Parts: sequence; C-alpha cells; structure tokens
Amino acid sequence: MKLPKFMNAVIMTAAITMGGSAVQAQQAGGSMVFLVQPEPPTMAGYVSTSGPIGLLGPKIYDGLFDYDNDGKMIPVLAESYDTSADGKTVTFNLRKGVTWHDGKPFTSADVQFTIMEVLKKVHPRGPNSFKEVSSIDTPDAHTAVFNLGNPAPYMLRALSAYESPMVPKHLLEGQDIKSAKLANNPVGTGPFKFTEWKKGQYIRLDKNESYWKEGRPYIDRIVGRFIPDASTRAAAMEKGEVLYAAYNAVSNVEAVRLNKEKDNISVTTDGYSMINPMALIEFNTKEGPFTDAVVRRAISTAIDRQYMIDTIFFGYGNPATSALSSNFAATGLHAEMPHYPATGDIAAANQMLDDAGYKKDSDGVRMKAMFDLIPYGEDWKRGGQYIQQVLGEIGIDVELRYEDVPTWLKRVYHNYDFDMNLNYFYQLSDPVLGVHRHYGTNMIRKGTHFVNSSRYSNADLDALLGAGMTEPDAEKRSAIYMEIQEILARDMPVVNLFELEFLTVYNTKLKGAYGSAMGAYSSFADAYLD
Amino acid sequence: MNSFWNRFSRNKSAVLGLFILGLVVFMASIAGLIYPDDPFLYSRFPLSGPGVNGFLLGSDSIGRDVASGIAHGAKTSLLIGLIATLAAVFIGVIFGAFAGYYGGLVDDVLMRITEVFQTIPSFVFAILLVAIMKPSIESVVIAITVVSWPAVARLVRGEFLALKNREFVQACHTLGMGDVRIMMAEILPNCLSPIIVIGSLMVATAILIESGLAFLGLGDPNVMSWGFQISDGRSMLRVAWWICTFPGIAILITVLAINLVGEGLNDALNPRLRERN
Repeated sequence: MKLPKFMNAVIMTAAITMGGSAVQAQQAGGSMVFLVQPEPPTMAGYVSTSGPIGLLGPKIYDGLFDYDNDGKMIPVLAESYDTSADGKTVTFNLRKGVTWHDGKPFTSADVQFTIMEVLKKVHPRGPNSFKEVSSIDTPDAHTAVFNLGNPAPYMLRALSAYESPMVPKHLLEGQDIKSAKLANNPVGTGPFKFTEWKKGQYIRLDKNESYWKEGRPYIDRIVGRFIPDASTRAAAMEKGEVLYAAYNAVSNVEAVRLNKEKDNISVTTDGYSMINPMALIEFNTKEGPFTDAVVRRAISTAIDRQYMIDTIFFGYGNPATSALSSNFAATGLHAEMPHYPATGDIAAANQMLDDAGYKKDSDGVRMKAMFDLIPYGEDWKRGGQYIQQVLGEIGIDVELRYEDVPTWLKRVYHNYDFDMNLNYFYQLSDPVLGVHRHYGTNMIRKGTHFVNSSRYSNADLDALLGAGMTEPDAEKRSAIYMEIQEILARDMPVVNLFELEFLTVYNTKLKGAYGSAMGAYSSFADAYLD
Repeated sequence: MNSFWNRFSRNKSAVLGLFILGLVVFMASIAGLIYPDDPFLYSRFPLSGPGVNGFLLGSDSIGRDVASGIAHGAKTSLLIGLIATLAAVFIGVIFGAFAGYYGGLVDDVLMRITEVFQTIPSFVFAILLVAIMKPSIESVVIAITVVSWPAVARLVRGEFLALKNREFVQACHTLGMGDVRIMMAEILPNCLSPIIVIGSLMVATAILIESGLAFLGLGDPNVMSWGFQISDGRSMLRVAWWICTFPGIAILITVLAINLVGEGLNDALNPRLRERN
C-alpha cells in the first residue's frame, strides 16, 4: 500500500491545485468522508437511538424541527407550531411540496403515523417523549394537530431528526415496524439519499436533487467509513482521508495532539448539548454495602472529579454539581447541590463514615464491594482504577469487574447483581426525557437497559417527577426541579461524576456543518467543502 | 549434577538467559520492598517522561509509576507462566501417559480428545475462554492451561510409546508391578528431559498469551501486568511512548531469557543432540 514518495508529491500538488480554485463561499459539490464508529446494525433511527445510526439517519430522514446551538427551534418539516392556551393542543403547520426520496408527497398522515404507530410504540424514548399525545388530527394534508392529555413542554425538545425522524407511512403501514425492509433501505425526505452499504467498509449517501430547501445540500456525496482500530482512525484524520469524526471516534489524546500539531484540524465540543452525557456511578440501593445513603454521599464527596476530567479525558468535561446537568441551567432547571465537591475531600468523606459508625478494621477497611465498569474501553477502566484507589483511602475495599457488554447489561439491568456500577447516561434535552428514567419508581423495569437499576423508590420524588413533567409554567417547573435535586443530593441512588464533553474532530476544509445543536446527529444540508 | 551444569554452561547464551531470568525473578520478589505502594496508585503527575517528577521510567495517564508497574507486573507474569505451565504439564502427562502406555482404544479416545483441543487456534481459544468466564487471574490461568496441555500430551505419548516395550519395562512387568507404578515410577522419569524442555518453553508462551489477553482488555483489572500496561498506553503511543515501551521491553527480554534457558536445558538434558551445532 505504500506509495512511492514522488507519487505522494503528485497527489499533493493535485490536491493543492484543486483546492486553490475554491475561493467563493458555499461551493457546491465534492465528497465528504467521515468516521462512523462502530458500524451501525441497521439504519432504522425510528427503532433505535444507537449512536452510529444517529450519525447517518438524520441525513436521510428529516425531523419536524432542528435546534441551533442556542437551543432555538429551526423549522424543518414543520414551518411553525401553535400551542393552545391550556397547553393541551399543539398544532404543527407542515411544509408544502416536500417529497419522499421515492417521489411520493410528504403529508400530515405521515406525521400522524410516525408519532402514533412508530415512535410511541417501538422507539426507545418515544413512549416517554410523546406520552401525553392521545391522538393526532389531520384536518388537511399540511396540518397536524396533537391532542395532549396534559401539557408536555418537553415534547418540543424532542422533534429533531435524530430523536423523532419522520418516516414514510406508505412504506411501513401494515408491516411489523421492527422488521420492515425500510431499516436497511431507508427512504426519507432528508438532504441525502441512501445509495450503497458496503458491509464492513462504508455507507454511501448521495445528494437528494429534489430536496425542499432551495440549493441544498451543497455536498454531492457523504460517505460514512467504518474503521475499527482507534489509531488507524486517528491516522485517517491526520492524513485528511476523513474530514469529520464525532463522539470521540478519534480519542481525546489524539484529538488534542492533532489540534496542536496540524493547522487544518480543529476540535469542538459543540453539538452535544441536546445529548448531555453524564458520567456517573449507579448504586444498588436494595442490597449489598450501599443501602445506606451516607455511604453513597461519602463516595461522592471523596472522588476528585476534576482530576478524572483532567487525566482521563484530557481536560474535556465539567464536574457534576447536582443530579441534573448544568446545561439545564438555561431553562432554570439546575442548581449546585452539596456533596458534589469538584476536587474531592477524602478527610470529609472519612469523617462522614466515622460519624455514621462504620469502623475501620485493622487493615483500614470498613467494607468490601464489587465495582462494575462500563465495558466501553480503556478510559472507563482507568476511571474505575482511579476510583478504586480513592475508595481505598476512605476504607472501602472494592474489586473491579470488567465484562463484555451483554453480560454487563444483563447483570446490571436484569439481574441487579451488582454493588456499584460506573456508567454514563444521556440526560438529553430535558430532564423528562433523559433523567426521569433513572429515578422514578415506574422506571424500575427489569430487563430494560439504562433505566432505574438502583431500584430507588421514593413516593415524594415520584410525585415531584410527575409534577415536573406536566408543569407548563417555567418558574414553577424550576421550583419543582430544585426540590428534586435536593432529594437526590441527599439520597444519591446515583452519584453523578462529571458532564462528559465529547469531542468532534474536523478538517477545516469542511464548513457549515456546525450550526445545529444536534451536532453530528444533524442533516449536514448546509455543509460544504472549501 | 556437576556434569549437567558443565553441559548447560557450555551454551553461553543459555547462561546469559539464566542470568536475566534470575534478575527478573529477583525484581519480582523485591517488588513489594522497592515499591511498597499499590502499583495502581495514581499521582498528581500524569504523563511524566522517564526521569521526570521522580518517575524512573515515567508515569502513565493517571500518574501511575511505570517502573512500579513493571516490577509488580513481573510477579504476575512469572506466576501465571509457572502455574499455568505446571497445570498444563500435569494434565498433559496424565493424558499422554495413559494413551501411550495402553494404546488401542484408550489411545484413540484420549488422542481424539487432544486433537479437538489442538484444532482450535490456541490464542483464539484462550480469548474465547476468558470472555466466557469473567476476566480474572484465575480464568486467565485456566485458559492458558487449556490451550497448552495438548502439546505435552502428544510429546509424552510419543515417549511412552517408545519406552513401553523396552527391557526394563518388561522386567517390571515380570516383577508384577502395577501399571500406574510402572508408568509413574519407571517410564516417566526416563522421559523427563523433553518434558522439562517443553515446559520451560511453555512458560515463555504462557507469559506471551497472558500479555496478549491483557492487551486485548481481557486481563484482570485488579492485577497489574505488563500486558495491561501496554494496552493502557497504546492509545497514547504518539504522546507518551514510555508507557508501553518499557513493559514491552520487559516482555521481550523475559521471554527471550526463558527461551535461551530452555535451549540450554535441551542441550544439557539431551546430550546426544548436543553435537548438532
């Protein structure tokens, strides 16, 4: 595979000459190759929220709205919406003249079908997002009226192409949605059409010539490449073979190096605010050593969050200060709580355990525990090993367990056979969507992944979560979530560690791809090559 | 014994290997004295180069001392190599002895079983076993044992086949000795030399398999080992070369030393082959 030196020179010259002509902005044409890691199982974003599907799906399917980096709603398939005074009716005015990639027109019937028959039934988070939607009326082809049981302000944060893609009724109706052929031959209304899937290598999407937005997309072709090895991915980025890598497809350490060493490679942490990933420890509150909230609070107090961010994630991240991400501060739903010190306080943690009567034995051990680690790679193993050392200092002797993904999921979310578990959750764009599932009694769902595995159950909290879900008034809602955060800072069934900041590494040749809060999970209709 | 040492020391590289191996064993045995702290202990000085901030061979991404890891890792590597080899030799000798001594149906059955294990590529098989059991020091030892014993079984069977009709064995029969006694007390001592040689080489293989498993993330996360250090530092090779370079060198010279010793043992224990050079 090694090219002779002079060949490289020839290619380089050619590249420079071609690049030289691209002076005017927003030039159309070109191929955009980016990293998709790992290879997705299907492209059915309406059935799975899996990351790699999110990278490709929103380029093929549109949502009703998109969101800009300030969280403002940008019209996509819906041009506008109206909420009735009581908050129980939301009317969407749909864009006219939109067609599916197969030429059929997009109408309100598609919206009705997507929400009621697809997202509410088979989507992992749809049943939550559209819980209050009891029916959808379609007075004409371009109007969809959502009838809600209760006001559901959070629903308007879940309308992106990633979270709620609009799917064609005529290709899914009457079929088993989960096994429909559409999963591997996606037909959407988005800026790019699915063309080819070469298993193990790439997925190719081509420009949708009849896209509803005039003059878009700029790019002719998008190729999502699958490269299993991390160092090869970094090398592909370095050599300019791929132009875009999100969700840490290029590891932080390499990203920092490339950003520093290469003029044409940059990194950004934008594009993840609707995802809101939070690193955390889930505790088994029903059995084992962590049934007492004091111990859980002591652990939260001992861990040096900033140290973990600095050393394991190379400075990208923010220490958690409550059960909710600080990104919710914009909507008034976040406040700093006690027992979340940024730098850790071993002495205070020891004091808490001493006061609670947990005596150290002659080896300095108060209790033993098993610590499961999310099997997503070395970073998490390193994090676990750090926490193991810290807990040793406060007299908790933990053993680490690192298993394969299915075994781990079964252990934590089906058998509840764990003491403490290092993990991360997406808190998403609203606590209702991403956080309630972690704490509500109704979210103790044996066998469902990433819900309340702590089996924490508190009637007061349940009532507050219910109230927070339906409260339309921003100020009252803020007060409800203050109370929720206070309860969770006291009981701590889950200790939040830090808000992860995923990194997007990109070649500066790629422009216009950074305007959406959905980041890599956005359509790329406005992206162009310079 | 003297003549054994004479023959062994005639192979200069074997003596060098023995010396290096001695150093590694010494390092492993005093690891707890020179680095009394847990090798997983983090510090405030991540990614320090060799010699910087008091780290002889540098520190890793969360500030753990690479040198301490190598010293403690030596213990892990040697112990795993030794225990897995002993277990494999034990199983292999029993299978091989019975198959070779009795022949016929017993031989067929035992050798078919052995072949089942031999047909699966050993490293892939080891990965599979560790993945099925949870990654822990025990499961790694078991996996290495399971993939290593068939070679011993085949070797021992061959030796037993060759020896079982010799006069001294027939003499034992006439004296009315039991089969097990003949096998273990008479034939086995006569085929010890090749077993020792294959065993010594197996220790080296076992260390490599353990490192390979740890490299793939299938090591025990609670136990420091060279393979773990390499897998931990691999993603940072471009930024901090020392994290995986030094454990890599440790594996290289240890495995080389064991192989040299094995060669030397072979020369010393099989004097007839000695003149081949």
